[in-house]
Amino acid sequence: MTQTPADAAARTGDHAAGGNEHEGHSHEGPRRARVVHVVWLVAAVAVLIGIVVVREWTAQNLDAGIPDALQDLLTLSTSVLVESLPFIVLGIALSILVQVWIPEHWLLRILPRNPWGRRAVISLFGMFLPVCECGNVPLARGLVRRGFTVPESMVFLIAAPILNPITIITTHQAFGFDDGILVARLLGGFAIANILGWLFSKHPEPMSLLSGRFAEQCRLDDGHGHSRSRREASLDLFVRESSILMPALVIGALAAGAIQVVVPRDVLVALGSDPLFSVLVMMLLAFIISVCANVDAFFILPFASTFLPGSIVAFLVFGPIVDIKMLALMRTTYSTRTLVQLTTIVALLSLTLGLVVNYLA
Amino acid sequence: MPESTARAGLWRAVQRWRGVAIIGTMAAVTLWLAYSGQLVLYIHPRYILFTVIMAGIAVVLSLLAVAGRRDHDDEHGAPPPRRERMLALTAAGIAGVFTLGMVVLPPATLSTATAQQREVNATASDDAAALASATTADAATVATFTVREWSAILRQTSDLAFYADRPATDLLGFVVPDDDDPENLFYVSRFSVTCCAVDAQPLGVPVYLPGWQQQYPADTWVVISGSFTSNPSRQSTEPIVLVPDTLEVVEQPREPYLF
Repeated sequence: MTQTPADAAARTGDHAAGGNEHEGHSHEGPRRARVVHVVWLVAAVAVLIGIVVVREWTAQNLDAGIPDALQDLLTLSTSVLVESLPFIVLGIALSILVQVWIPEHWLLRILPRNPWGRRAVISLFGMFLPVCECGNVPLARGLVRRGFTVPESMVFLIAAPILNPITIITTHQAFGFDDGILVARLLGGFAIANILGWLFSKHPEPMSLLSGRFAEQCRLDDGHGHSRSRREASLDLFVRESSILMPALVIGALAAGAIQVVVPRDVLVALGSDPLFSVLVMMLLAFIISVCANVDAFFILPFASTFLPGSIVAFLVFGPIVDIKMLALMRTTYSTRTLVQLTTIVALLSLTLGLVVNYLA
Repeated sequence: MPESTARAGLWRAVQRWRGVAIIGTMAAVTLWLAYSGQLVLYIHPRYILFTVIMAGIAVVLSLLAVAGRRDHDDEHGAPPPRRERMLALTAAGIAGVFTLGMVVLPPATLSTATAQQREVNATASDDAAALASATTADAATVATFTVREWSAILRQTSDLAFYADRPATDLLGFVVPDDDDPENLFYVSRFSVTCCAVDAQPLGVPVYLPGWQQQYPADTWVVISGSFTSNPSRQSTEPIVLVPDTLEVVEQPREPYLF
């Protein structure tokens, strides 16, 4: 059985303990403990004000004089970051909600027993947890720690960014029902997630699909029952998730920015009208660009006139699952070997889907 | 040994606090960008409210996390092997430097480097519609046309009669040299953004002005009024170009992209 510290806390009804007993290690009184919290809070606020002051001052007085290409790399990477940051925050917040505040049996009770039914329901979780793919990584981690199997966490990770109210609305705003793009995206995402979940469920040792570090964390969770309030558990989770995800996000964004400065866009666009190459090129573009599923329909809209519909569908299905930024983020949770297999399977399935749409539409 | 204890202590501190430092700093910078009206350099205005709310939440959570409990479960385990530690520290270092860059480097728009790399007018979605509405538009409406409308119309028709009574008025954009005839031709360009700066598409109207480079280096923002005629340049493939009557250098506008 998996048991998180939060459950133990919830069971002992430890809500108001606050700052009292956790200072037990240092043998200091509660008043002293409260002073320490206040001092740290004041220091943190001071640092924050310092950051804003420096930002304001440098914006007015510093002329960086960086070469154009490098400056554009920074602008593009910053753009990827600023665009994903709110979704990461939302993802962490929802992950905290799922792991700390929602009783475990709520999630497990609504699931059917049969594995196909279970995965099908899990692939619809995104309808209630409207986060894009980068926000889904902390959520998927939360599910594994809550006792879901590793293949089930993948089904969620893949399906949720596509079968998601925000994504459906933005895709509909961008394309309406033209060329079956919206329908193909939704059905394709659902099918790919479930096929992949089924394939990985055949794995004899699912825990070995995880990265060593994350698997170790999950084991640590099992043993620790020492009591904390939910507030503390939430903040601790925020600290841990951000510490794992943020460096990965920055490096993914930098790589995505760098490749865009280097690869000429017209090389890609020239291949847009071939039924096979257009699909491959769009998947490559999705891989490089790394924008969130919630907004990628607007991204691809200007290409819709030059590219065949199947290639647009391939972009909209492949991009949310696999791209540079996502690989960096998923590496925090799954092993490299797993990610190579996942990328290969998803790429082949997206390619098939794109070709089918191209020949039908 | 005191040295290795200190190193393990540093490792744990970085390991634990790098995320809060990065997310808190980035969220603070995001809020500042929104306050100073520069968030539009990176994302479409429709996402500003959502971004600001989530950044606010991130700032509050970061402050509470720093103020909160100071001893942690994960501090009792032994640190991982050296190679893994170095890798994690390098990643944290790169992320830290980038975050610092977001604090000290002035925010910037995309430049001509990206405009040329993405090729001006390489993609567009609504050409035919733009031409149709331009055909029926009155003079006052034509005078409000931006680089977006003109570049779409230019792709649709090279009929000189169409342009005869439709001059460009106060066309705002930055200077991008033409690849084929950089001596005589440049594009007055804007980036069109549908989601964020990542998908910025350069749109441009070709301007014929021999020797323009002496006065207007690439990336200069200009406002041009003039009329369209057939292209006198032999090297360039553009059929129609804008010949300026007036050309004025201006400051970069607060919203440099077209949304």
